[in-house]
Amino acid sequence: MRAEYINSFYKATQDVFKLMLDIDIERDKLEVVEGMVTSRDASVMIGVTGDLRGSILFSFPKDMALKMIKIMADIEMDELDNFVSSALGEMGNIIGGNALTYLSEENYICDIVPPQIILGAHKSFQVGQVKSLLLTMKSPIGEFDLNIFLREPENK
Amino acid sequence: MFDNMIVALKNIRRRQVVIMMWKDKYKIGVELIDTQHKELFNRVSDFIEVLQNKDEWDSKLDKVKETMIFMKEYVVVHFEAEEEYQQQVGYPEFDKHKKVHDDFRNGVNKYAESFEEQGYDREKIQEFAGKLMAWLIMHVAKADQKIGDYVLNKGGQS
Repeated sequence: MRAEYINSFYKATQDVFKLMLDIDIERDKLEVVEGMVTSRDASVMIGVTGDLRGSILFSFPKDMALKMIKIMADIEMDELDNFVSSALGEMGNIIGGNALTYLSEENYICDIVPPQIILGAHKSFQVGQVKSLLLTMKSPIGEFDLNIFLREPENK
Repeated sequence: MFDNMIVALKNIRRRQVVIMMWKDKYKIGVELIDTQHKELFNRVSDFIEVLQNKDEWDSKLDKVKETMIFMKEYVVVHFEAEEEYQQQVGYPEFDKHKKVHDDFRNGVNKYAESFEEQGYDREKIQEFAGKLMAWLIMHVAKADQKIGDYVLNKGGQS
């Protein structure tokens, strides 16, 4: 996996968090892991097609997800209901869309498929005999994960 | 004095606990659009508040429908006014911006049709509200800011 793919998603995540939530995020840990695992309570999976294929997975702890909603909607929530998960999904969709612009600047023309929301931790997704990249992000409202699994089709 | 106290108490009761999505940082510097954005955000806030409060679903269904109709109509009114303004000032990205509005209008209409045909299901309406909120914030915080920037630069040049 090349740095350009990772940076495109990292930059898009930073931009959207700044614009929508007014918070700065920074990269903490970077690990290579087997497959993709939702390590936290609420996850958003975005499929990528085109010059790159694979998936991106955002994984948030419940407390952070509810704080994100509080910042956006000014509403106190105590559960991860459909309103919360749909808003997180749309944020993931927006980040994916912005990442496409960065990727196109690196000459990768891609598309994204609508987000899938996964509630509950420790669900794993088989992505073949390959490894994905796990970035842990720090923010003033909590820590979350960005899991990146992308590859270039062999005939490209 | 007693009468005044009763009036004051009534006023307190009439005040609802409201949520406020609007933030001044969303202003683009064009008064007409900023006023409409604020109104739109207030309507979406009302809709979310009614939808998410702890009242029984059946007892608030009429209120949910009412705030949704209000909000849906205002989305259309606002998009039309904003598009008209963009044309008036010769905004160069008008076509691109209108396409984004059109896609969003279609999305809202699809949800509205499904509610009318398949009933007002709480989870479906929550899904709609979550998307609407996130989309609106991002659209106003990013795409609409470009209109303000354009007008400001144009003003500076003339």
